[in-house]
Amino acid sequence: MKAVVNRKILGFLVPNFLIIGIIGVNRFVLQAESGGILVFSEFIILPILMGILAAWYWRDLKLNSKKLIWYSILNGFFAIILSFLFLGEGTICLIIVSPLIFAFVTTGAFIGKVMFKKNKQTLNISFVSLLFAVFVIDSISDHHYENMVSDEVIIRARPEKIWKNVVAFDRIKKPNNYWLFRIGMPSPMQTTVSGYKNGAARKCIFSNGYTFDEKVITYEENKNLTFDIINQPKDPEIMGHIDIDRGQFLLHDNGDGTTTLIGNSWYKLHVFPTWYYDLWAESITRNVHLRVMEHIKALSEE
Amino acid sequence: MFHFIVYRLNFLKGVPLFALIYDSCLKIAMFLAAPERLGWFDDIENEVLSWDGTNVSLHKFGGTQFNYGRKEIGHLHSNGLLDILVGRQVKQELLASGKAEVHHIFKESGWISFYILTEKDLINAKCLLKEAYQSRM
Repeated sequence: MKAVVNRKILGFLVPNFLIIGIIGVNRFVLQAESGGILVFSEFIILPILMGILAAWYWRDLKLNSKKLIWYSILNGFFAIILSFLFLGEGTICLIIVSPLIFAFVTTGAFIGKVMFKKNKQTLNISFVSLLFAVFVIDSISDHHYENMVSDEVIIRARPEKIWKNVVAFDRIKKPNNYWLFRIGMPSPMQTTVSGYKNGAARKCIFSNGYTFDEKVITYEENKNLTFDIINQPKDPEIMGHIDIDRGQFLLHDNGDGTTTLIGNSWYKLHVFPTWYYDLWAESITRNVHLRVMEHIKALSEE
Repeated sequence: MFHFIVYRLNFLKGVPLFALIYDSCLKIAMFLAAPERLGWFDDIENEVLSWDGTNVSLHKFGGTQFNYGRKEIGHLHSNGLLDILVGRQVKQELLASGKAEVHHIFKESGWISFYILTEKDLINAKCLLKEAYQSRM
């Protein structure tokens, strides 16, 4: 009985601490120079290996599917808690990553269940080694991903009336609609500027008080405001995950008393796979744009 | 959703591990929505494993594959879709009696499909697998 309990607990403890240890070493030691890029295999291969390792400890417990899924979800949950405690990950990031972790740990557990039922040790070791080799190769490979998100709104006002609201605006009081902002992700609140000219310092202040420091690089009145982000806050939700490089507002006079306001943002993503994380990055960037641009529209149409 | 993935995103089956991961998502969805059906699937697996010479493996397109030696008897996807190889003649008899449907992809083959939605389906699933097993012996 005691041995059964020990095996069950080891199935939680060993995979979690081993995987968190590997991610920690990879992030803070091997990839410290690149700022700790989180590669795709840390979210796919390692959780699968975690599930396989847990299944190895649980192989004699004759777990039914319900229990195996439940234990795998628990294992994923513990991994998320450990990432929060030891890797300094933010809550929103962990909410975003959780579907991947649950799906891949469960996949690994069911692969392991079948592997250890057959007991073909050479094949099992080869498969696990192959997965680990993919992880190592992925970890030492170069990773680079940049993207640009663009949004536009039509404003019933001339560019001359809109322009001052584009350069700087007072506090946004409208409640947030986007679900991530509503559960605590910081949203844009206010923008200040040191001057209406090229080289001016601009600050974008978020709801939690964090500030993005910006420098105006193109100031074409009533047409184009482009700024580089020269300092972004040390927020665990952002740090090491995304770098916002540049922002831009373009105004096009439609000739009928309306103006098309276009908001562009350029960013670098440091978490992979991008097919998953860029969906989130695009969605968040888009909602930052829209919150600011809807506010500019409301101010300009008053 | 299952049919959308199978028919529209069919090319993804070539991505290593994709089918297994997709099947795990079906398992988690089943765990949340109808956990009792997972118990039925275990029941089928245990029943098949109690027959001489059988074993289970992971199906290449996701799910549990039932084998007699190295020959496949059938496989069960985690949404409850059971595909069984019965041969063309038995297939016609099963289709005529309404006990099974044509295979959800290979309509002209000797495969049939059968959805396990109720406890009664569980009994029929075991009977169909037993029939396929006996034909493979």
